[in-house]
Amino acid sequence: MSEPRLRVSRGLTAMRLAARGGARYAVNAPRLFAAAGEHRQRLRDDLALRTAQDVADTLGTMKGVLMKIGQLASYVDAGLAPPARRVLSALQDSVPPMSPELAAGVIEAEFGAPPAAVFGEWDPLPIAAASIGQVHRAITRDGQAVAVKVQYPGIAETIAADLGNVALIRSLLKMAAPAQDVEELIEELRERIGEELDYRHEADNQRLFADYFDGHPTARVPRIVDELSTARVITSELAAGARFGEMLSWSQEERDLAAETIYRFTFRSLYEMRAFNGDPHPGNYLFEPGGRVTFLDFGLVKRFSDDEIRPLIEMVDALCLNDDPEAFRRAMEGAGFLKPDAPIPTADVVAHMSLFYDTIRDRGPRTMTSEYSSVVARRYVDFKSPLAAYAKIPRSYVILQRINLGLFAVLGQMNATADWRSISEEIWPFVLAPP
Amino acid sequence: MTADVFPGTGLFQRAAAAFADCVPVDPADEGLFGPGSVTWRLYADLSAPVSGLRSLLLQALHPLAMAGVDQHSQWRDDPGARYASTAAYVLTTTYGDKAAARAAATRVRKIHEHVRGTDPVTGKPYAASDPALLIWVHAALVDSGLAAADRYGIALSDADKDRHVAEMTAVAEIIGVPPVPFADGGAPASVAELDAYFAAVRPDLATSRSTEDTATYLLGMPDIEPELADVWRVLAAAAVTSLPEWARAMYQFGAGGPAPDSVPPSREEVRQVLGILDAVYLGEPGVLEARQRLTLRMRGAEQRRADQARAGQTGAEQAR
Repeated sequence: MSEPRLRVSRGLTAMRLAARGGARYAVNAPRLFAAAGEHRQRLRDDLALRTAQDVADTLGTMKGVLMKIGQLASYVDAGLAPPARRVLSALQDSVPPMSPELAAGVIEAEFGAPPAAVFGEWDPLPIAAASIGQVHRAITRDGQAVAVKVQYPGIAETIAADLGNVALIRSLLKMAAPAQDVEELIEELRERIGEELDYRHEADNQRLFADYFDGHPTARVPRIVDELSTARVITSELAAGARFGEMLSWSQEERDLAAETIYRFTFRSLYEMRAFNGDPHPGNYLFEPGGRVTFLDFGLVKRFSDDEIRPLIEMVDALCLNDDPEAFRRAMEGAGFLKPDAPIPTADVVAHMSLFYDTIRDRGPRTMTSEYSSVVARRYVDFKSPLAAYAKIPRSYVILQRINLGLFAVLGQMNATADWRSISEEIWPFVLAPP
Repeated sequence: MTADVFPGTGLFQRAAAAFADCVPVDPADEGLFGPGSVTWRLYADLSAPVSGLRSLLLQALHPLAMAGVDQHSQWRDDPGARYASTAAYVLTTTYGDKAAARAAATRVRKIHEHVRGTDPVTGKPYAASDPALLIWVHAALVDSGLAAADRYGIALSDADKDRHVAEMTAVAEIIGVPPVPFADGGAPASVAELDAYFAAVRPDLATSRSTEDTATYLLGMPDIEPELADVWRVLAAAAVTSLPEWARAMYQFGAGGPAPDSVPPSREEVRQVLGILDAVYLGEPGVLEARQRLTLRMRGAEQRRADQARAGQTGAEQAR
């Protein structure tokens, strides 16, 4: 490729990049950067993490672990204890972005050359905070606009060491999520957090989803740029679109379409890929009109075995298709959700559980409201119910609770109406209705 | 600073409120130490809670100091309040501007005027304004900062340790220690003088019922939030571990904690617990902002030092 043409193509890409909402992405970035009047932004710059020692001081000695545990615990428990919530939000606020030099140092350490040499263009200012890192915009040497997630230097080592202190993590979890069965949570969380530290896991997950949804009319997953991704850096296509808050101002029709895409994405990946992106968080979507949604952040993905998925299918099958309460109960017991021989009439079990299946028991349009999602969340942590003493969430399914506590909240905020049952029938592998 | 200023239930809430309040937003000057001091660097260290706890355990070994606290403060009724007012004093003299530091010292000196009597244990008279007692309390504080950092915190060079001890004489002097060399009855101004001081004062030390009560309270921390009780146990073990051997022997503590057969906690374990404590502390209102105020000033001082060094270098080059 001749030099002038390269320059033109780069220029075009940069323009396209700006026009496609890169700037908007920055404005709507998570509150770490967005909370931000000019003064606040300058404060952040002045406080920027400049050295690996700054990173260790800010996120080492359990603080990074505490943040992750807090995040994960909030995924599986409707309400973190208020002191834990306070601590978590102060911790998040206490992490300033890396200085441009420190972030560039990570690129250099991973690729053996500074960002200006590794990429065609590199934006030294981060556009968003990410889990234990931050996101920069860049243009690759062959002109592709990309988002580059850069991990804080030294953070993986310090968090991995801190994760070894199981006794301390146990007491933290008890503090953060008093309602949960801590023993079931601990191993699952340690494993998930451990995976998050190595960005190669996340890149693998994202590749899996990107391949699976390749060509999907509305769901999109940015492709990983393999040669620019390592254990500490993930480079993927730069996605464009409106943030969740902006999408909420769109027409209800547009919101319904977007909600349908999120719903299809979640359950199709669960039932067919047997993988669940455990982070249905408003910050992880970018919206475009026509129900097109780009899904970001695959740091917290759980893959299931056939044996783990089967009881979930049996439960749906028994409750929504065959109306067979005894089979439903057996499936729950088989999966470990309910102790066998619990002295609870099956009718009560069904009455308690059917709320979670409320939107898919019958065909016809139903609206997901915030009221519904709060009722679901409250029922989920209702430890006064007679069922509570005999119910538990087996380890493999811990992360799935994000459907009840995260996905429904997102759809509820969108006030989304759809025929969820009919959509589900297209997805359920055991029904295989025509799409 | 009186105890009522920071009402509240938990120790942490009160300590945090004191911190948020005592780190000035708009100080008139750099105070007794300033952002470039070793003292600021040391007090920003994660090991500070261990230092505080060790310092109280050590201070309680002087019968006359203990008698003053016991007979003239309500610490048994509301130890959290007593602790918060001490913390507020230390924080104001460390971070406040000179006027705030002096005002705090004047208040304490006024209170000290009334703190006098006879120690029931030794039968000796005491007065809180006695420079010998003031130096005792001061030396325990300074020594504890260094000892806690040594084991669980930042590595200070020997020169920086000496600098810290020397910097701290300023805070001894505003409370009433004569501003004279250590040999003439002033506060220790180097690590060697600090060590010499402890060697000399040891015959005056003793334990009593009050000492035991103090230690029982500090190490057991009955008022602490239940979620933090496990965390406190590690902290208590760390404080005991970092005490001088002679002090542990006086208390009949084990090598690594209050129990005779206790094993010292590892540096890693203690730091992890300190990290949790620090996070809890950060969650209290105003703490993060106060900490950012300090970080900004310390970074500013660092920048100025670097600029000066560069300017000096340029000057030297020009002179050549």
